[in-house]
Amino acid sequence: MENKHYNMFEIFRGFIAIAIAIFVAFILILICADDPGKALECLLIKPIISNGALNTKSIFTILARMTPIIFTGLAVCVMFSANQFNLGGEGAVMLGGFVAALLGIYIPMASGVHILVAVLAGTIMGGLIMIIPAVIKVKLKASEMVCSLMMNYVIMYIILHFLNNVFADRSKGATQTYPFLNTAIIPKIIPTSELSWGFAIAILATVIVAYFMYRTRWGYSIRMIGINESFSKYSGMKVGSIIVLSQVIGGMLSGMGGAIEILGRENAFKWLDLPGYGWTGITVAILAKNNPIMIPFAALFISYLNRGCELMSIYAGVPAEMIDIIQAVIFLFFAAEHFLSGTRQKIVVKDAKEELHKKELATSGEGGNA
Amino acid sequence: MFHQLVDMVFSASFGYSIIRITSPILFAALAAVVAEKGGVVNIGLEGIMMISALFGVLFSYWTNSWLIGVVGAVVIGVLVAMIMAVFALKLKTDIILAGIAINLLGGGGTVFLLYLFTGLKGNTASLTTPNMLTPKVNIPLLKDIPVIGQIFSGHSVLTYVAFLLVILVWVLLYKTAMGLRIRAVGENPNAADSVGVSVLKTQYIALAISGALAGLGGAYMSMYYSQSWNIGIVAGRGFIALAAQAMGQGEPVGAMLSSLLFGFASALGNKMEGMQGFSSYLVASIPYAVTIIGLVIYAMSTIKKVKRFKDSDK
Repeated sequence: MENKHYNMFEIFRGFIAIAIAIFVAFILILICADDPGKALECLLIKPIISNGALNTKSIFTILARMTPIIFTGLAVCVMFSANQFNLGGEGAVMLGGFVAALLGIYIPMASGVHILVAVLAGTIMGGLIMIIPAVIKVKLKASEMVCSLMMNYVIMYIILHFLNNVFADRSKGATQTYPFLNTAIIPKIIPTSELSWGFAIAILATVIVAYFMYRTRWGYSIRMIGINESFSKYSGMKVGSIIVLSQVIGGMLSGMGGAIEILGRENAFKWLDLPGYGWTGITVAILAKNNPIMIPFAALFISYLNRGCELMSIYAGVPAEMIDIIQAVIFLFFAAEHFLSGTRQKIVVKDAKEELHKKELATSGEGGNA
Repeated sequence: MFHQLVDMVFSASFGYSIIRITSPILFAALAAVVAEKGGVVNIGLEGIMMISALFGVLFSYWTNSWLIGVVGAVVIGVLVAMIMAVFALKLKTDIILAGIAINLLGGGGTVFLLYLFTGLKGNTASLTTPNMLTPKVNIPLLKDIPVIGQIFSGHSVLTYVAFLLVILVWVLLYKTAMGLRIRAVGENPNAADSVGVSVLKTQYIALAISGALAGLGGAYMSMYYSQSWNIGIVAGRGFIALAAQAMGQGEPVGAMLSSLLFGFASALGNKMEGMQGFSSYLVASIPYAVTIIGLVIYAMSTIKKVKRFKDSDK
C-alpha cells in the first residue's frame, strides 16, 4: 500500500531543503548586496514580473535554458538509475553539439531533413562515446566515474584542436566555426525569443524516457540493477549488457541535448570549454529524485534560479556564481536520506500504530458478530 | 623533430618540471588514498583544493605570512571535508553526490566567496606579494651535484612535504593503530564494528586527513604554482588524483608513481607545445588519455591476477 503520509512527508522534506537553500541565499545577499531588497526582488520576482507586468522575454529565456538541462537531467536519471556514477555527460554534450554543428555547417541538405540528420548524428556520437566507460566498467571493473571524468577532458581538448586548427572562422575575432546553414538552425517557437522547438523535443523526450523507464522490460531491468545488482544477476538478467545500454542511452540523451542546444540557441559553434550542463543535469536529477516525469519541473526551478542570479548580478551587483552555492546546499540536503529522519520515523510509527488499531477494531468487531 | 624531443626529455630542466607538476597531484592522490582506504570515495577533492587554494591566498594576504596561509588552507580543507563527512556519514547523502556538491561550491562558490571577502572578481593576482608565496628550498650538498641537483633542488618547500608525506601516509596506514582501523573499516566495516572499532568515527578521521592533504595541494597551486588564485587554477587535478589513486592500486607509493607518470605526460605536453608541428590542444589531452589507458592496463592486470589465482586454486 502506498503510504500517503510518507509521500507527503517526502514533499515536505524537499521544501525544507529548498527553504534552507533560499535562507542561505538571503544571508549571503544581506552580507554582500548594497541594496538587499532590490537583490531579492531580482532573484525571486524579476525573472517573471518586471515593472508590474509579465516579463515575457525573461520567461522565454528561462524556458529556453531548461532545454539542455532537461536532456542532461534525463541522461543522469537513466545512468544513475543503474547505479552507475557516470559523469561523462559533460563530454557527451560537447561532442554532440560539435558533431551536429559540423553537419550543420558543411553538409547542405533539404530543410527539415538537415536538422533531423544533424541532431541524430550528435545523439549517436554521444551514445557511442559512452560505450568506452561502460565497457571498461563492465569488462574490467575499472571505475566508470574516473574514466568518464578523464574522458571529458580528452573530448574537450580534441574538439578544441579541431575548432582552432581546422574549422575556425578566421574572419571573426573570437574563436568559433563558420555559421550554420539556415536549413540546420532549429526554428524558434516564438520568433523574437531564444525559445526554439528544441524545448518541445525535450518535453517529448521526457515522456519517452518516463515510458521507457517505467513501462518497458529494459527500463525495469535498469532500475532493478540499480536497486540490487546481485538479485538481478541471479534472476537471469544480462547485467553487463543492460549497464552498457543504460550508459549509451545516457550518452545519447546528452549528445542530443548538446546538438539541440547548439542548433537552437547559437548561430555557430562557440563553446571553448565544457559547457557545464552535465553537472547541472546531476542537480536536476537529484531534485527530481531520478523520476523522469519530475525532470522538467526540477529544470524549471534551476533555470529560474539561474535567471534570478543573473539578474541579481546585473542590477544588484551580487555575483551570479551564487547560483552554485544555492545549488550545492539544495543538492546536499535533497540527497540526504537521513535529513529529518527523526520526524519521518515518528510518522512511520504513528501510521503503523493507527493501522494496528484499525485492525484490532476490525477483528474485535468480527468477534462480536460471531 | 623526434631527436629534438629526446634531447629535451633527457635534460635536467625537464626532470625539474616533472616534479613541479607532480607535487599538487601527489597531495591530492594521497588524499584519495587515505579516504579510499577508509572506504569512502572522496570525489570532492577538486572542490576542496579550489576552496583551500583560495583561503590559502586570503590568509597569507591578511597575515602577510605564507606559513599561516598554508596552515589556513589545511584547516579549511579539513573543515570542508568535515561538511562533506556530516552529510555523507550522518545524513546519508551518497558520498559521490556530496563530493559533487562540494565541487559545485569549489567551482562557482569560490568566485562568490572571493567577492564577499575582497570585492575582487575572478582572480587574486593583484593581492600577491613575495611574502605570500611558499619559499623555494635549495638543499645543501645536493644542489651542487650536477644534473641531480638541478632536478631535485630548488623546489617549493611544499614539494618536499609532498614526497615526505608519501612515507608518512604509508607509516600512518601500515604502522599505526589508527591506520589499521582505517584499513579495517575500509575493507570490512561490519567486521571492524564487531571488534569495537567505531566505523563512523574512523571514516570521519579518514576524511579529515584527506581534506588536510587536499588542502596542502590547494595551497601549492595558489601559493606557488600559479602564484595567485583564479577560477581555472585546479583544472581537474582533483579528478586526476582519483585516477592516480586507482592506477596506483590504492597504495601511497603506487599513487606517487602514477602521479609522476601524469607529471611526465603533462611536462612533455608543456614542452611540445612550443615545438612546430604539434597541436597544443592535442598535447594537452595526453595526460588524461594516459590516465585512462593506465587505468585500463591496471584493471586488466588485476583481472589476470585474479584469474591465475582462481586457476591455481582448482
